[in-house]
Amino acid sequence: MINVTITKLAAQALLGRRRFWLLLAFPVLLVALTVTITALTDGDAAWPLLPGLGYPVVLPLVAVLAASSVLGPEVDDGSIVYLLSKPISRHAVALSKWVVAWAATMVAGALPLYVSALVAGGGDRASAAGLAAVVAGTTYSALFLAVSAITRHAVIVSLLFVLIWEGLLGNLLTGVAWLSVAQWGLRIGHEVSTELPDPTNVPWAALASLVVTVGGVWFCGDRLRSFSLRGED
Amino acid sequence: MAEQRAGVIHDLGYRHYDGPREGVATIARTLYVTGLRHAFGLGRSGKSKILPFLLLALCTLPAAIVVGVVTIVGLSELPLTYAGYTNQVQLLISLFAAAQAPVLFSRDLRHRSIVLYLARPLPAYVIALTRWASLATALLVFSVLPLLVLYTGGLLAGLDVGEQTTDLLKALALLLLVASMLAGITGFISSVSLRRGFAVVGSIVALVVVPGVVTAVQAITSEEDADQVGVVAGLASPWSLTNGLASAWEAGVTVFTPPAGGWVVVYLAVAVLVAAAGLAAIVARFLKVGSQ
Repeated sequence: MINVTITKLAAQALLGRRRFWLLLAFPVLLVALTVTITALTDGDAAWPLLPGLGYPVVLPLVAVLAASSVLGPEVDDGSIVYLLSKPISRHAVALSKWVVAWAATMVAGALPLYVSALVAGGGDRASAAGLAAVVAGTTYSALFLAVSAITRHAVIVSLLFVLIWEGLLGNLLTGVAWLSVAQWGLRIGHEVSTELPDPTNVPWAALASLVVTVGGVWFCGDRLRSFSLRGED
Repeated sequence: MAEQRAGVIHDLGYRHYDGPREGVATIARTLYVTGLRHAFGLGRSGKSKILPFLLLALCTLPAAIVVGVVTIVGLSELPLTYAGYTNQVQLLISLFAAAQAPVLFSRDLRHRSIVLYLARPLPAYVIALTRWASLATALLVFSVLPLLVLYTGGLLAGLDVGEQTTDLLKALALLLLVASMLAGITGFISSVSLRRGFAVVGSIVALVVVPGVVTAVQAITSEEDADQVGVVAGLASPWSLTNGLASAWEAGVTVFTPPAGGWVVVYLAVAVLVAAAGLAAIVARFLKVGSQ
């Protein structure tokens, strides 16, 4: 199902020049900040960085950048028609691209988050934060890949979802947790350590994450199946 | 044919235009107005209008609700100040700047239509300044509109005119700084990173992630009784500069480590410098592209 050539091309697009530096900046920033603060203060001072900044902002931003880098530029300059004219299942194209986006989100998003958690406190809650980041990162990458296949303004739409829906409204209305990727991840992490909040219930969190992940990749393939190239609006 | 005419490349020998010519100033003004309209999606496709107006609605709606509450409950003052309101919606202002800066700065450069502008008697630096002015004005309109709703509603509900006006003027002064800084930063990022997506992510890093880091650092330093470190950290992002100044001017914003004494002057100077540096960088970028 996964096409190695497409995966390789997507990885090259992701690691090409400036994009790579922007992607690398996030984990470096997060880990450096946690290490500095932990070194300069006593106790748990650095921990609030994770629920306040690392998990709700850095992780989704990495996922947005990764997901839109594997599909966005090709849609933007129209070279995707050359890919789509090959006799390869569009779902295989979507899946191959998602694998790259997912791997990048794990390496540049979830892993540094786990490292920061270990530095800032360690113990059960670090493993819990790591697990939450893996779950949410996986879901985010599939969701944002689907968004990239729908609209040219994928980055800004994804950011609206993360910053306005999950961030701004999520803080005001507790019901948003039922429809928030970050909260699903946290709920699953809560199973490992009770220091994480438990906004919904586990079956819902697991099922919703799974449905959005599988559905996102499938939907992306489906959109590519009936893809039409439009001019800039 | 021998007579010299300046600045126009098309001369196919047809009968030419003898009427009055409006100079560089008119071209610049037209470009400015068009840019301002484009920032809100006016004069562009219907789809381009969705995002700016959605953000504008999200930004203004709470102000209307506040006015409604003040009127119905009969409060004697607004539950939050004008600068406090801007502080609450700073995420929306950042998103608007990040989303609309590529519209003004990336498209001409990416599609090289900039050479068509440069073929006209408008120098590259004037184009850069005009673009910056369009974006800064758009940001100002975007952020001042909800404050005007609050102000008008507040006055109609019978609040104290002098007090409200002083508060509003403080907020307006801050917003002038914010608009100049944000237009400079996002404009420069968008004119360097021509792919829309990366320009947006870059701007979000500068306007959301970095201020978030600064706030976290300030919270920690204030807890650790190292306030001076937090005050210095506040110099690192446009929003922490603005909020620091707002708290120093008693405009109704609280920060973890408020600047005091000489630091207020430093904050103001750095804010002006950031705006000027952003503008200078945009001009340099356009001059470089224009000479290629």
